[in-house]
Amino acid sequence: MARTTLNVDLNRVEGDLEFQVDLDGNRIVDARCVGTLFRGFEQLLIGRAPKDGLVITPRVCGICGTAHLYTAALALERLAQLPVPPQATLIRNLCLMAENIQSDLRQSFLFFTPDFIHPRYAGQRLYPDIEAAFAPLKGKVVRSTLAVSRKVVELVAIFGGQWPHSSYMLPGGVTRGASARDLIDCQDIVDQAIEWYEQDAIGDSLDNWLALDSSDAFFSWLEADAHAASAIGLLTRFARAIGLQKIGGGARHFLSAGAWHDPQRWAPPYTDGATLMPAGIYHADGARLEAFDQALVNEHVRHAWYRPYPGGRHPFAGETVPDYQPDTDRYTWAKAPRYGDLVVETGPLAELLAGGDALVASLLALEGPNTWLRQFARLRRTAHTLHWMKHHLAELAGLIGTPHYLPPPADAFQHGEGYGFVQAARGTLGHWLQIEDGRISRYQIVTPTAWNASPKDSTGRHGHWEESVIGVELADPADPIEIGHIVRSHDPCLVCTVHFVGSGERHRYGV
Amino acid sequence: MATLLWLQTGACSGDTMSLLNADSPSVESLVRGGSLDILWHPSLSAKPAGALGELIAAIEAGTQPLDILCVEGSMITGPYGTGMFDSYRGRAKIDITRALAARARHVVAVGTCSAFGGIPAAPPNPTDCTGLQFDREQPGGMLPPEWRSASGNPVINLAGCPVHPNTITRSLALLAQDQPLELDFLNRPRAFFNSTVHQGCTRNEYHEYDIEEKDFGGRGCLFFNLGCQGPNTLANCNSDLWNRRSSKTRAGVPCFGCTSPGFPRDGDLFRTEKIGAVPVALPLGVSRAHYMAYKNLAHAAAPLRIKNRDMET
Repeated sequence: MARTTLNVDLNRVEGDLEFQVDLDGNRIVDARCVGTLFRGFEQLLIGRAPKDGLVITPRVCGICGTAHLYTAALALERLAQLPVPPQATLIRNLCLMAENIQSDLRQSFLFFTPDFIHPRYAGQRLYPDIEAAFAPLKGKVVRSTLAVSRKVVELVAIFGGQWPHSSYMLPGGVTRGASARDLIDCQDIVDQAIEWYEQDAIGDSLDNWLALDSSDAFFSWLEADAHAASAIGLLTRFARAIGLQKIGGGARHFLSAGAWHDPQRWAPPYTDGATLMPAGIYHADGARLEAFDQALVNEHVRHAWYRPYPGGRHPFAGETVPDYQPDTDRYTWAKAPRYGDLVVETGPLAELLAGGDALVASLLALEGPNTWLRQFARLRRTAHTLHWMKHHLAELAGLIGTPHYLPPPADAFQHGEGYGFVQAARGTLGHWLQIEDGRISRYQIVTPTAWNASPKDSTGRHGHWEESVIGVELADPADPIEIGHIVRSHDPCLVCTVHFVGSGERHRYGV
Repeated sequence: MATLLWLQTGACSGDTMSLLNADSPSVESLVRGGSLDILWHPSLSAKPAGALGELIAAIEAGTQPLDILCVEGSMITGPYGTGMFDSYRGRAKIDITRALAARARHVVAVGTCSAFGGIPAAPPNPTDCTGLQFDREQPGGMLPPEWRSASGNPVINLAGCPVHPNTITRSLALLAQDQPLELDFLNRPRAFFNSTVHQGCTRNEYHEYDIEEKDFGGRGCLFFNLGCQGPNTLANCNSDLWNRRSSKTRAGVPCFGCTSPGFPRDGDLFRTEKIGAVPVALPLGVSRAHYMAYKNLAHAAAPLRIKNRDMET
């Protein structure tokens, strides 16, 4: 039977990626996710002063630099067993929350919904509404998204001086505590973001929306005019009209390290589990949540362009030594992280499943993991995040004038190892570092997209994205927009990992 | 209306985020107002898969005019000079960049990576990165020092990691209107790179009276001990605030000198290298003897409200 290989070009991901799929007729029978970018960040850090990671690692990713900064600070705190004042953890969380909201909104309405404006969908009943709301740089929702995303990162600038790329979180706290004026300014920013979310995103109050706890409750909610016309309503109705609830399942195991460190519990001896939303591995089959253990994280390089080693390695034993071998069965600059031997998905869907959002769990039980639900969960998470921001600001109000930074002892970073995790916009982000003689001797980063965009591992198991497109029937192989929907629903951050390819007409027969 | 193509090379997207943060003017107002016709931006274009390849071919063939080529990210030349650490459809990005630069009226390096090499070019420079027309401090990067675009300008360096948001949109608006952009010795537009980061810093009074912090978290100046490069870095961070709110130094974070070609410097980024009690790198153009005399006097003159760090920053 004729088998064709397509190279798919995707933009509107943060970075580039080549995606090669093998077709049998119009059906995808194999897929290779190809990271085309290698920058060597982990090597840049070796030999540098321990705190330099706070300046270098945020530059891994311009859209989630706060997450890298936070994770780098956590790893140093665990390494040196440093105490952190509660005010600092509140401020760090607030900044990460602001960054995540910025990212979730821009991803949804600048990167994901533009795929709806496509000639193939011009006959859809909702198409005129979609165009009015989501046309690039011109649609009503796009413009208000630009404005509100610009507004919300002002909160990061209040504490960090600028967004993106500042280094205001240091081991032991933050460089600046909240003043009374900061508090009011932050409240105003969060109130404006909530007003946008209520008016434009859901057409309802945050409380009503967060109270929805089942698929039945959600689908009846969606029938009210104001809800149906909201950005999430419109996105949902259109995505479901074109069948996005039926494609893009993938790994069916979900990883979350738990969102938002608890200001009271993030303290030595740093046993795991100090997050406000629970961590865990959620299994779609059986709706089972298992505890997360970082010792089980390991990375394979069998199909990546790195110096080979057998099986998987925990990041504390990891290495990143490039070994470019084109025209072999190795095909990417992305490593293959696995949890034990499991292929897992991470992101907002995973975060809410582990965190206990009843509505999302109910929708998953109804239809399984899918492209629409993944995108829906991202915007649902924004509501949780806004809720936590209000909560944090109320707590911060009582801590003005309390310590925000406890200077580490001069010899704190001479030897040792540490790691940290946060839930970044795209899911679980981990840093592992080791220090010898006061210098960084190893730094390994596993980004959310590394989990999702991983290639095959040493035993030949596909990565999550690869799995999520295999089996999909393309309506038109010359314009494989289904792949765009599926991959973009993960909010791919390929600068962390990789870049999306397209469209060379390479044909292969036989196999 | 000026046509624009934005290419990402060895980038983190931070400068794209800055573009989206710009508000005076915003990118959407430049597009809606008819100043810019964005042929391609990796994050903003809705064009279907494959459109970038066709566009590159049309520009190379001369059938599609290109007014402004924006490049975000380091020029990655490894491994072994192939550029294949960063490729598009099997072609090294450096080759694509070179081909497009030959056709563009203006070439703009958006960010310190494409201007000078930036973080990926820091030692040991694992991917052999360089800037478009500088290799860190050395003139000549991927393109030689004498290279000029069709407009007669060298590569216009909008330095910064990331670039200040409005510096991007203001520069693009000026280029779209064919306004002259006067460049400094590093080919940065003087309009946005002609004051020190120190100027406008709310810790200035502390600096003035030599009240210097030894650790983070306080209100004093960060220059003498904590690595701040504000007095010798040219950028508008404190005269045109970030995200309409603040700047790193105001928030107690040292300036890392990210608009300079040597960013990131080799030493500990949170510590100031000193000779005796005085930093090795003094404020731009200041002589050591004069500076020491001034600092001794200033310290003696410091009022209590400054010594006690009573003043807000």
